[in-house]
Amino acid sequence: MSPETLDLARWQFALTAGGHFLFVALTLGLATFLALMQTIATVTKSDTFTRMTRFWGRLYVINYAMGIVTGLVMEFQFGLSWSGLTHYAGNVFGASLALETIVAFFVESTFLGLWIFGWDKVNRWVHLGFIWVVTLTAYASAFWILVTNGFLQNPLGYAMDGDKIKLTDFGAVVGNPAAIMAFFHILGGALVVGGFFVAGVSAYHLFKRTPEHRLFTRSLRLGIGMVVPALMFTVTFGGLQLSALHGYQPMKAAAFSGSDSTLAELQADAVARFGPGDYIPPVGAVKTAGIVMMVLFMPLLMFGGLSLLLSFFRPLVHRFRAWHVLLMMAVPWPFLAMISGWVFREMGRQPWVINGLLKTSEAVSDVSPGHMRFSLIAFGSLFAALIVLNIVLLTRAAKRGPVDDAVVTV
Amino acid sequence: MEHAAIALLGFYALGYLILGGADIGLGMMMPFLAKNAPERRQVVRGIVPFFLGHEVWLVAAAGVLIGCFPELEGRMLTSAFPAVVTLLLGWIARDVGLWTRGRAASPAWHGFCDVLICLGSWVVALSWGVFLLWTGGEWPGGIGLLLAGLVVLLFAAHGLGYAGLRIAREGAVGTRVRQLSGRVGGRVLFALTAAAMVLTGIATGRGLSLVDGAADPETLAVLVPALLVITPLVLAAQVGMWWLLRARAVPESDITPVSHPGR
Repeated sequence: MSPETLDLARWQFALTAGGHFLFVALTLGLATFLALMQTIATVTKSDTFTRMTRFWGRLYVINYAMGIVTGLVMEFQFGLSWSGLTHYAGNVFGASLALETIVAFFVESTFLGLWIFGWDKVNRWVHLGFIWVVTLTAYASAFWILVTNGFLQNPLGYAMDGDKIKLTDFGAVVGNPAAIMAFFHILGGALVVGGFFVAGVSAYHLFKRTPEHRLFTRSLRLGIGMVVPALMFTVTFGGLQLSALHGYQPMKAAAFSGSDSTLAELQADAVARFGPGDYIPPVGAVKTAGIVMMVLFMPLLMFGGLSLLLSFFRPLVHRFRAWHVLLMMAVPWPFLAMISGWVFREMGRQPWVINGLLKTSEAVSDVSPGHMRFSLIAFGSLFAALIVLNIVLLTRAAKRGPVDDAVVTV
Repeated sequence: MEHAAIALLGFYALGYLILGGADIGLGMMMPFLAKNAPERRQVVRGIVPFFLGHEVWLVAAAGVLIGCFPELEGRMLTSAFPAVVTLLLGWIARDVGLWTRGRAASPAWHGFCDVLICLGSWVVALSWGVFLLWTGGEWPGGIGLLLAGLVVLLFAAHGLGYAGLRIAREGAVGTRVRQLSGRVGGRVLFALTAAAMVLTGIATGRGLSLVDGAADPETLAVLVPALLVITPLVLAAQVGMWWLLRARAVPESDITPVSHPGR
């Protein structure tokens, strides 16, 4: 295999998966808010909450569309660039991916279509049911993807079968602690992302003193109210993962916090078990990413907690403009924490694609560097354009505020 | 179990060729059916309510492929690498056009999105033509190009048949749909092209060594029952979607104008 193809394929996967992950984080967070808002709107028949559902729904759909088109590349990329992985581990790894596409994503997309275009066409309780199906299948989607990823971090429930592996215990694959804890950790993180996003956009309208102060006071309180519990939830599952890491990925744990001598010991162990080679992940990147993620927790918690207190006082919600500015400035930071966590988890696994079983270099497809370069440039520039487009469209729609318009127009 | 897996793959793949193929074909036909901005918008409204629900049939088919036929999946996608990349690029371009067209009021943006939708649809159809013929492992040469061209034309014809179901009969676009479909008529044309899509899909599938490429029995024993349970449920949801959003796209003049304050 050409080492150049390997590097290009790794860059392509990192850029596309990282980009997709950011869209998904906001989608998961916003879907939850949307389901809550529409539930309140349906139960209380509140006009404010109905308009809130439409406004935030529009932002949700903009972001969802970008998540889906980037996700298409992800689904096909395993077969395209990493056919060594599907050859070696397809029997185990493919099952959870297949369940994600049909049990979660197919259902989610069908019901999202029903939700978007079914406004005022169905009974409002049925329409509320649509958004809950969308939200719960979005969670299910994240769950199955993390079952798949959890297997790469901590392979369980398999046995060797010639030059590949086969499934022996699907329960062990699904119940993998490396999957379950990561799922809750990321779910919490997505709610933090969504909470700060909702609060930040609301703060913009309160700062500008648009006529919608009622709607955005409610939104701000809902967003900020979510942040502190979500942060505590996230950090709990992050802490649990970190301590479990010493058990199943001691090298990742050592790259983050161990001494040079621990790393050297683990390297010697790995050489004894797997033969000669470099088994230490890029320590600088792993350490930096881990530290950035954890360091961000404290300021986010302090600012979130303080904001929660302030949000109880209506005059402050309406008039405290310095706080509004800080809330707007807070929006990007949870995204940074999310992507740092992703870098920590994925780079810390190197040089393995499946920890202890298959190296990344053994998984790459037999494709020429020219082909891989073409797809890297094409997908890389496309994703960059999509991120810019998403930011522009979200900002426009956010600034435009609530309007009596469909969630999607053509 | 292998045969149930093959049936599931066939169900989702053929479903995609019929439903997703119809959306792609209609996108390809846009310049032939619509001659001005309101007419193009009418065509887009013919595609829009269903395209997400339809394109996920391919996502599902690819899911069955990676779960039940992982080896084959890797081999197929890797051997036809460039066609898969252009397929994805065209697909994304088209979807971005469809999703974001209405996010700005400027005619230039609408025009740009229409180009994305139409060109993206042609790129997807051409990539399918090349991909379906490439799945044998080797590119069949000159005759391959001819067959790929036929697949592209099939997509376009299928889109025309679909236009007969989705576009209102009255108005300029509806008239053009009738003229282009000729004596066959929309419904019959759609049925014929759908049948041709199915035959193309089956012919491709027969060229693949599906039984040998299947995953281990242990994997299939988990996956196939789960998929067999969920499939009727998703199908019911899709039928509900078709029924609820069945209204045809009518000409612009028949739509009550919506104000867009603040744009």
